[in-house]
Amino acid sequence: MMGINRRQFTLLLGCGLVSPNLLAKPQQLLFASAAQTSPEGYALKVISKQGRSLINHQLPARAHHVAKHPHQPFLAAVGRRPETFIDVINYETGLLSKRIESSPGQHFYGHAIYSNDGRWLITTENEIQSGQGLIVIRDCANDYRVIKQFSSYGIGPHELKLTANGKTLVVANGGILTNPGQGREKLNLDSMQPSLAYIDLHSGLLTEQIFMPAQLHQLSIRHFDINDRGRVVIALQYQGAKSDDVPLIAFHSSGDKNLSLVKAPAAINLAMKQYCGSARFDHSGTTAAVSSPRGNLVTFWNAQDGSFLTALKSRDGCGLTATHEPDEFLISTGRGHCYRFNAKTGLKEKLPLGLSSQTAWDNHLTLI
Amino acid sequence: MSLRISTSSKYAIFISLALAAVNVKAEISQTQWMKLNQASINEHILPGYQKLASTSEALEQATADLCQNLTDTHLKQTQSRFNDMLNAWQGIQHVQFGPIELLMRSYTIQFWPDKKNLTSKQLNTVLNNAEPATLTPDYFQTASIAVKGLPAMERILFAEQPLQALKQQTFRCDFLHAISSHLEMQTQNTLNEWKLYKKEFEYTSSEEGAYESAQEATIDLMKAQVEPLEVIRDLKLLRPLGKTDKAKPRRLENWRSRNSLLNIQTNIKSLHHQFSGAKDYSLFALLSDHGAIDLAEGIEQQFVALEALLAQVPAPLSQHINEPNVREQLLLITQGISLLHKSLDKSMSTLELQLGFNSRDGD
Repeated sequence: MMGINRRQFTLLLGCGLVSPNLLAKPQQLLFASAAQTSPEGYALKVISKQGRSLINHQLPARAHHVAKHPHQPFLAAVGRRPETFIDVINYETGLLSKRIESSPGQHFYGHAIYSNDGRWLITTENEIQSGQGLIVIRDCANDYRVIKQFSSYGIGPHELKLTANGKTLVVANGGILTNPGQGREKLNLDSMQPSLAYIDLHSGLLTEQIFMPAQLHQLSIRHFDINDRGRVVIALQYQGAKSDDVPLIAFHSSGDKNLSLVKAPAAINLAMKQYCGSARFDHSGTTAAVSSPRGNLVTFWNAQDGSFLTALKSRDGCGLTATHEPDEFLISTGRGHCYRFNAKTGLKEKLPLGLSSQTAWDNHLTLI
Repeated sequence: MSLRISTSSKYAIFISLALAAVNVKAEISQTQWMKLNQASINEHILPGYQKLASTSEALEQATADLCQNLTDTHLKQTQSRFNDMLNAWQGIQHVQFGPIELLMRSYTIQFWPDKKNLTSKQLNTVLNNAEPATLTPDYFQTASIAVKGLPAMERILFAEQPLQALKQQTFRCDFLHAISSHLEMQTQNTLNEWKLYKKEFEYTSSEEGAYESAQEATIDLMKAQVEPLEVIRDLKLLRPLGKTDKAKPRRLENWRSRNSLLNIQTNIKSLHHQFSGAKDYSLFALLSDHGAIDLAEGIEQQFVALEALLAQVPAPLSQHINEPNVREQLLLITQGISLLHKSLDKSMSTLELQLGFNSRDGD
């Protein structure tokens, strides 16, 4: 319930200070995501449980992932590579709290996370001149001043996560070299070396690094998730010949010497078109979902043994997030739709969003 | 359109048409999307697969005859049937959804570009080993795509002394025939499955079908209309042209059978047909019905102009691609393709069709 009656509502409206969209309390919010809202327009949107668009914050350019602060009402929408902005929004007021610019000579890769205590904002960035990946730590309590930066131990770092205790940073080094001077062109496909790096957050030292085997070095490690037990599920993207049939999902646990590469059943693996866009564990951490927007599919996996569970058709579906129910996910699509799906029961529900057909949800969505 | 207009005025035509003003009137109903889908399928896609299946049947027949009679006449006949099937494929290659996606059929029919020259390497291995088992359907089910499609047949049929090589090794012709039989089966199955898949386009909305709405189904059709243009420009023209002035003729598609130019002409002609050729309804008609008649006619004229430009290019392209004036013509064609692509993109945004967001340009 909104906890507000009609008269109060009218009064508030009369004040002209509060937008009716913002009257909903925080617990009624459902998710946040970056979106394209018109051919040239990009926004950070916040959607309520009733499917209403509560916040539509215009962004300077296309964003990618949205990080949620662990206990304050902040969302950080990160510019997609090679953008140089992060917009931090207060989702209770809908106002821009801070626009962060990357340091000169650096740009963002579209991903950021807050530290478990909410003090630091941690990003993956490109040091443009050297092409080396960076991890940059900013102080949320001090106007997002950069307090430290260190190597990501690879080229093209992308998604990053913290282990449950908040001490180890896990980073996907996609391996692909790009330079803003040449747009998004991939410059090193013959020599790329994707890796998953485990880095001590405090010291910035590498504690463990797993590389893709040499014969699959064009299999980019870009997106992943980690559960409370430290199990990692990776959504892979292949840069080799279109006719190759390669595994597109990998699992890893700290201490394992190799990645555990897995393939969906033959027809599904082919249908995934060598490209996975996002990976998320469910709330219980036992089921993993991986989206394949080029194949219009989302596949579901057993987190422990890496076995294939099921697949769901989802046109241009990419964004994934776990709801608070076990085995249940939200899936957002490039067609502006959002679905709730339970991988065990097979129940699927389309959320009534009623957005313009020009709205396209970007790669990732974040539960609030 | 005159074929003799100057280069600069032709260029001006492309430019001006891409900028046509648009003002869309009303929202398009699911029934209209369905009408567009059905017309495209009945008048464009199904005839395309029908032609692919019948030409591959004729090619299979010709290879069977050739293996019985290794004569120059039979070779020429088979080469001609090969050209027919290749041409049919070039006319329907742009459709990359539906049954053609199954079992990697599309790559099976034509694995190209073959940057590592896998077709030659793997075909030579198969021919040298001459294992009878490699002639069976079981082998073809799991065989590498590099040895079971049109490029492998082309290497045998358009080798330097094809007849001599076929006479020296009967297995060579048997394998040629085996590829042809496999292609016949795959193209026939594709056609049969499309006759069923067609039903997915016969409703305006569905919970359980392949598409949630008719408009969603239109998106698959429109991808076939718009996206191949980049492939034609980048792989079939710019890659062989190379970045410097020195072209690489062997990067041309089907240079051995001298079909490189005809392939591109057929691709454009077929996309043109998809755009405005169906009698019942078409993208041209839909745009016109919704106030974007200038854009519709602009695109139509861009197709006509591109076809006229392509008609002036001398064949075989592999022999002429290094001539400076041919290079200039081809570069002009690539610009024309880019502008046509831009106009089609504009028609998509005019109709509020999002062809793909994460699938097209994810990260």
